[in-house]
Amino acid sequence: MTKLSTGKGISGSAKLDAVIALVLIAAAVTLPFMVESRYILGQIVLALFYATIASQWNLLFGFSGIFSLAQMAIFAFGGYATAMICFYFGLNVWAALVPGAIAAMVFSLVVGLACLRLTGVYVALLTLAIAQAMYLLIVTDTECFVMVGSICRQFTGGAVGFARFGDLGMRTLLKGQWLVGNYAIIATLFTVTMIFTYVVVKSPIGLAFRALKDDPAYAIARGVNRFQAQLLVFGISAFFTGLAGGFYAAHFQAIGPGVLSMSQLMFIIAITVVGGLGSFWGPLVGTIVLVLADELMREAGEFRTLGLGIIIALSIVLMPKGLVGRIGDLVRFLRRRSPRSAMGPQENAALTAK
Amino acid sequence: MMNRRAMLQGVLGAGAAGGTLLSDLNSQARAAEDTPIPVGSALPMSGLAAADGIEFKNGLTLAAEEINAAGGILGRPIELHIEDTKEMGADLVTQAMQRLIDRHSTPVIINGYNLGTNMAEMDVAADNDVIMMHYNTLISHNEKFKTDPDRYYGSFQGDPPEYWYGPGCLNFLKNLADTGQWKAPNKKIAIIPSANEYSIVIANAIRDKAKEYGFEVSLFETVPFPTNQWGPTLAKLRQDPPAAILVTHFLPQDLAQFMVQFLQQPTNSLVYMQYGPSLPAFREIGGANINGVLYSTVIGCLPDDYAKPFREAYRAKFGPTAAYLTGSQTYDGLWMWAIAAALAGGPGEPFNKEQVAKVAAAMRRNVYRGVNGTYRADPAGQSAYCYPTQVADPSLGMPHQFLQHQDYKTDAKLVAPALYATDSFVLPPWIK
Repeated sequence: MTKLSTGKGISGSAKLDAVIALVLIAAAVTLPFMVESRYILGQIVLALFYATIASQWNLLFGFSGIFSLAQMAIFAFGGYATAMICFYFGLNVWAALVPGAIAAMVFSLVVGLACLRLTGVYVALLTLAIAQAMYLLIVTDTECFVMVGSICRQFTGGAVGFARFGDLGMRTLLKGQWLVGNYAIIATLFTVTMIFTYVVVKSPIGLAFRALKDDPAYAIARGVNRFQAQLLVFGISAFFTGLAGGFYAAHFQAIGPGVLSMSQLMFIIAITVVGGLGSFWGPLVGTIVLVLADELMREAGEFRTLGLGIIIALSIVLMPKGLVGRIGDLVRFLRRRSPRSAMGPQENAALTAK
Repeated sequence: MMNRRAMLQGVLGAGAAGGTLLSDLNSQARAAEDTPIPVGSALPMSGLAAADGIEFKNGLTLAAEEINAAGGILGRPIELHIEDTKEMGADLVTQAMQRLIDRHSTPVIINGYNLGTNMAEMDVAADNDVIMMHYNTLISHNEKFKTDPDRYYGSFQGDPPEYWYGPGCLNFLKNLADTGQWKAPNKKIAIIPSANEYSIVIANAIRDKAKEYGFEVSLFETVPFPTNQWGPTLAKLRQDPPAAILVTHFLPQDLAQFMVQFLQQPTNSLVYMQYGPSLPAFREIGGANINGVLYSTVIGCLPDDYAKPFREAYRAKFGPTAAYLTGSQTYDGLWMWAIAAALAGGPGEPFNKEQVAKVAAAMRRNVYRGVNGTYRADPAGQSAYCYPTQVADPSLGMPHQFLQHQDYKTDAKLVAPALYATDSFVLPPWIK
């Protein structure tokens, strides 16, 4: 994925991406008509949340090289901000979603500022510390802020979190089919997030992100402003991550400190690594693979976690570029063995980049 | 017709409350089919609450066997289906419940407890028109039920909310002092919750009611969940020793560690803990250090003759260290629902609101005496009533049991409420 267009028009890479996107959108539209099970639809909604968060972490680390571990903290911030706006100000969830996402973005910018002078593992340590501090501040908040019935509620919701602050309105609108409505909303969120991410990655600022990741000293020497670029990527990724947090809270009608758990963060990282770090489609492929594998191993009891661990370990060892990278390698290998391949140099370049 | 004697004989013979009642209903039933009735349960079979998840499953297994031996529900046997809720939380638990409904068409889901769900389970039950009984022990169940009783008609909490631990515990301490069983060195109490809803709601309830019962809170310190590093907290306790230390954190291994570290330099304080001391791990890890520890539970198998067949059957089937105190919860839950389903003419199935509502109505109407005491649904919140703090009549409320470990080699002794007590309170060995 090196360029959006050439001087002669849309590149092969962009064409391939467009075809994949259209196929996926068509599949997403037909899905509710094929899936009758609420459980499966619910799992797909959950997977879309994972894919959205992972795609934004991929933008941060995969494309920009910033090893932030505050991704779930930003997601939680968006969810909490949305829930708190609804809870304390009585706003409709829809009205609170964008302010919640903006609050998450501001939080992320503060984190980004704190990380400006740091690189690599130090960014990871600081962001992880911020996430843990946020978790502890919430769960140790026991001071009564407001009474709800006979329950004493803390300002942050404390260890209990927030519930009953509203939903996306689909229960009222679609009655028994509310989950299909929520699916459509979350699928749209994911689509918009992916389109925006694509535009960013392909734009000059996306090139700047990658330049800073590949060789910071050279990029700065060529005029790339590290301060601006780093803050921008923190802000962009946080907006959609925070927005996803708001939708998550509205979908489940609850948000609690559990979303800040280390296992959730590890799952998001695993999705990105298995799918392909720095690959546009990687987070989606990783989500499909890991959620499917988790589902297929559901009956394996205690071996389920072990099985997931083995899949992740094997992916890292055997597919350092992730599944998308390995598929690209495979296609190139087959092309070399087939001299009459119809694929032109542009398609070849596109696969190399993926 | 069934008389009282026949019913009691049948109950004791089957080792379960309601056994004869169900047999009697079955003998009159003309079941149109004998296909199994799927019964679902979303339990934490892995993760930090796995030990309890296994006991909840055991309780269901035993109840299902007994119900099937009694002829099932109107001639149809029960078939259990378990889903793992792993680390729990709203997303995992609701998805586990939805899977049970989609995959097995379960008209009922009987859970143990699941943490961090914010009672999202009630929405799954409402959306799919199934009965959901759980033992989360949360006042938020009542609060959510009150927001829309018509929508949440199928959600039942099998025990009183945790809120009642607060006034119940203070009342117990006050009674010990008033009756001269304990001479409190001062009026101070230290409250130590951990960072989770159950623990904090109890701690807040104790804190908010302390003055009413003549106590003052000298320390209120929230510790991480889980935790076994008690040093900083113990240092504060030793600096300003209270009359009673009330630890509302509930994991048995952590509480045993508290006692091990506390006894290195004990203060003249009673030690009360929440839930964890009822589990075998507490005794196994703490050893002799746990002698004298008080704890209470608003739900747990009573040490009476009525529950004896259950206790014996449970340990015979699941081993001598199996925690029937935990398994008894889902055991009673399944029996209670089975009887209500039989009385209602069948369990129904998901989305059959008419029939499922009949089962729910039977559950609300019946007063069920199980191995944990009496379940009577509070119409305002659809949880059990708490005796003696909430209701004065023991036949209409589940007993808030206060137990004391007096010898770590044996089960804890029930010391209150007086109507159920088997032993008297003794001063802990560290109090001079």
